[in-house]
Amino acid sequence: MIRLEDVTKWYDGRAVLDHVSLHLEPGMLWGLIGPAASGKSVLLKVVCGLIRPDEGRVIVDQRDITKDKESDIMETRRKFGMLFQNNALFDFMTVGENVAFPIYWGSDIEPDRLRSLSVKRLQDVGLSGSEDKVPSELSGGMKKRVGIARATIADPKIVIYDEPTAGLDPVTTSKIYDLLRNLQQRNESTVLAVSSDVQAIRGFVEHIAVIHQGRILYNGPERELDSCADPVVHQFIRGDADGPL
Amino acid sequence: MDAVQDKTTKAPRRNGQEDGPGPGQRLLSPVARLGAGILTLADHLGGIVVLLGATLWRLVPPRLDGDQLRRSLFKMGNQSVPIVALTAFFTGGIMVVQAGVFVKRFGATSLVGWGAGYAVFREIGPILIGLMFSGRVGSNNTAELGTMTVTEQIDGLRALAIDPISYLLVPRVLAMVFMLFALTIVGDVVAIGGAALFGKLLLNVEFGVFFQSFGWLGTADLFQGLIKASVFGVVIALTSCHFGITVKGGAVGVGRAVNAAVVAAAMGIVVSDYFLTYLLG
Repeated sequence: MIRLEDVTKWYDGRAVLDHVSLHLEPGMLWGLIGPAASGKSVLLKVVCGLIRPDEGRVIVDQRDITKDKESDIMETRRKFGMLFQNNALFDFMTVGENVAFPIYWGSDIEPDRLRSLSVKRLQDVGLSGSEDKVPSELSGGMKKRVGIARATIADPKIVIYDEPTAGLDPVTTSKIYDLLRNLQQRNESTVLAVSSDVQAIRGFVEHIAVIHQGRILYNGPERELDSCADPVVHQFIRGDADGPL
Repeated sequence: MDAVQDKTTKAPRRNGQEDGPGPGQRLLSPVARLGAGILTLADHLGGIVVLLGATLWRLVPPRLDGDQLRRSLFKMGNQSVPIVALTAFFTGGIMVVQAGVFVKRFGATSLVGWGAGYAVFREIGPILIGLMFSGRVGSNNTAELGTMTVTEQIDGLRALAIDPISYLLVPRVLAMVFMLFALTIVGDVVAIGGAALFGKLLLNVEFGVFFQSFGWLGTADLFQGLIKASVFGVVIALTSCHFGITVKGGAVGVGRAVNAAVVAAAMGIVVSDYFLTYLLG
């Protein structure tokens, strides 16, 4: 369970998150959409403790991580898997090492076992035979898949996807969302996904929130999003040129 | 909006120039800049001290990744040997060329070996190799860590519940300190060899005569240089790591950080050299 209570984060005198409150139940597929620079990525990083809020509380499984030391937040982060917007693949490692890394560090798993787990997860994301390549040899879509494989290999309870399909063609986008759905169903994990691709993410999540200038304008079932009265939400989900945005 | 209109409707001065800062502001400006500079310096020095503390904290007991340590030792040490050796060899030669005029004039050929050894062990070896190491390894380290920072790879490690200081920085700091120490020994040996060879070729000083005067050198001369090399290693490691992990502003920021790291390391080497020379005698 994840709960944000009145979370505010300031950057250069501007509230990037402005009294944000959210509640995510276990196993929920939750999406966050909003215009560029509205605070989406910051919100995700606040949820997993990479950024500390200036005000408010972030509670993960009954634990307030805003009061925790970095070493204690590390323990909470073991529950998370995260795909970064630009993948954040380690360029000094091979693809296979990248994928196996979350289960390698601090464990005594045999190298052969690590490799087989990594190969298996790469198969799951449709990248068989890529384990010995380096990230710079991959296309944008392939890097996303490697990032997804790395985020999910440890079967985390909570998975965060920051723009999982940014810059990808519609077919690859559709395949990636199928993949994320399959992984979620298999692990029964809680998923938080951020995307600028409104239609694609709406087909993926059950609950959705719209953020603009650090404020949550809508947070509820995806199917009721169209009935939201807020003009910003209306304009954004319809992609109209005219409006308050 | 009002402020914008106010600015655009402001009348120009009689000489046609726009309103500039007032006399008070003009006087304050250099003071403000100096103050900002001091704050920036304090910020970086504080960051480096905090990083030193964080690194030492993680060494008790050591929590190291063997692969990272091996990779750093190889890249920072083994691959630096050719350039250090070449520089040291010709440095030995330069000392003989510079000393040649006086050696010939006073017939002091028996002092060439001692002079070369004294200068190389105590000063030239550690400082020259330190600066070379900073330019080659320190700058590379800052660029690598800076790129990892701007591409969110450092955050990626934190998101995977991996401490970036333990995993990335501690092995690099250890590798730099150890390898600069080792490279200084290699550089000292090669520089002395170069000095002996150029002494024979340019001044006709026999190898036996050259190395005979080495007896006048004490172990303190050698160890002073090695202590300096170790401190320079710490300075280079901490400055390069600090500027690497505090990069802001994409590729341009990485470039600025590399520049700042090399300048800061060079200053740190020279300043610490002064104090070490003073303290060690």
